[in-house]
Amino acid sequence: MSSSLPKQSDGMYKLVLLHYFISGLCFLLLAVLFLFSIKDLSGHYFNPHLLAITHLAALGWGTLVIFGACYQLLPVLLETDLYSSKLPWFTFMLFIPGLFCLVYSFWVFEPGIHMQAGGLLLTLAILTFCVTVIKTANKSKNSSIHKEFIVTSSIWLAATAIVGTLLAFNFQYAFLPKNHLQYLRLHAHMGLAGWFLMLIIGVSCKLIPMFLVSRIQLSHLLSWSYYLVNSALLLFLIDGYFYGVNVHTYFIAVVLLAGLTCYFVYVKKCFDSRLKKKLDIPILKTVISISLLSVALILIPIIIYSSAKQNGLAVHYSTLYGMLLFMGWITALIMGQAFKTLPFIVWVRKYEHLSGKRKIPMPADLYSSKLLKLQYISYIAFCIVFFCGYLLYSQVMMTTGIGCLLISSLSYLFNLVILIKHEDKSLSHEKI
Amino acid sequence: MKKFDITDQSSFKELEIIENLRTVLDPELQINVIDMGLIYHIDLSEDSKIRIEMTLSSSHCPMGEAILQSVKNCLEEAYPAYEVLVDLVWEPNWTYENITEEGRRQLGR
Repeated sequence: MSSSLPKQSDGMYKLVLLHYFISGLCFLLLAVLFLFSIKDLSGHYFNPHLLAITHLAALGWGTLVIFGACYQLLPVLLETDLYSSKLPWFTFMLFIPGLFCLVYSFWVFEPGIHMQAGGLLLTLAILTFCVTVIKTANKSKNSSIHKEFIVTSSIWLAATAIVGTLLAFNFQYAFLPKNHLQYLRLHAHMGLAGWFLMLIIGVSCKLIPMFLVSRIQLSHLLSWSYYLVNSALLLFLIDGYFYGVNVHTYFIAVVLLAGLTCYFVYVKKCFDSRLKKKLDIPILKTVISISLLSVALILIPIIIYSSAKQNGLAVHYSTLYGMLLFMGWITALIMGQAFKTLPFIVWVRKYEHLSGKRKIPMPADLYSSKLLKLQYISYIAFCIVFFCGYLLYSQVMMTTGIGCLLISSLSYLFNLVILIKHEDKSLSHEKI
Repeated sequence: MKKFDITDQSSFKELEIIENLRTVLDPELQINVIDMGLIYHIDLSEDSKIRIEMTLSSSHCPMGEAILQSVKNCLEEAYPAYEVLVDLVWEPNWTYENITEEGRRQLGR
């Protein structure tokens, strides 16, 4: 057989599964910590428990699963083998202790050696991840906007980690010239718009038309999106550093929204021109994710207005904005895409050699569809009950909503275990 | 529609191969490789050899290797006396127009 398609080693396969599994555990831990922090949500977002939860969500839940998926998807998207299969293990070994050091030190709020060590380990892990991404991209002969999105997102992630580590040291040594909260805002947006948004646009614009079999892909819109989102972020960082949130921020928000509109139009056209009419649960989750991102974007002018007026509502809406992004946009997307990507990873490993020889299960048969439905319904219940409860200042509704999130995270994790532990039953039957 | 020459013995075999390949599905879309329009050419001109020239819907296709392997496995099972050679080609480029009416019907379900 003559093909030049990339292959994955056993070690990388195990590493990818490990990323998905630990990320699932972090999601469960996140829901549990949330349950113990409901009262904190009514105060300022700059408090120990919310800092711990945010970093667990961003790093343990979001970034870890993205790292795992990247090791699988980079060779596919860039049409070349991964630069190294050892370096990702090194990244993982640095990342996990760094993550738990950082989250623990935020939770108990000890801005000393644990927080600093956590920050340094995470930064080192992220820098090694960047080396993997950039070196793999350099090996790739094709030039595409996806490559630009992925490489740029990894650079933003490194910048986010470096600023975050400086902030961790600043707690003890207070050497930074500006207000800590001002850096925190910049650090958060480098992570959200630079890392998550860049990467999600870069990967989803390839996967969505592939999964939907879309006839029309307006790829030129992606280039516009790339330059507009990056320009908005750079302007926000420069302006935000010197002047904080002010009237210029409205203009920057318009540039960001223009970039995102290009991406939304691209996605809509993919949906409109799709040949695959029926949408499965993972794709429906992607639609929910994009809707929740849109809701968060609507809050931006309200936050800018109330911040510029130094209105008390700025904190309330900023917390809502952060939760919509982490627990809405990113969470819905991961929950959906995990059951779109991981079943294929496992299927290729277990069944590729048997495909065509005998009747074998399809990737969608490797996990429980009932658990997937439970995960989907409980997540929607969480979104409705929790966010309404937050807006209405109702602790009962917020607690109920987080209860739903707990069910969702448990069903996600169980289903992940079912998928990872999947064995070819027909083969064991044949042996008997 | 494939042209069929009743005087040519290889035409029967080719049709048989096409029917066999209808059992090979794209794991994501669950449409067979014939209706996906992935098979470009079936060559039976060499003795005891079946040479398949095929493409993939995308050069990034994560299931690419699995689909190629499936085609090879399927034909090796059906024709044990033959050597099966699967050549992956990128010219002409696969487009959505390659999907047959039946394939479109199945995707639209």
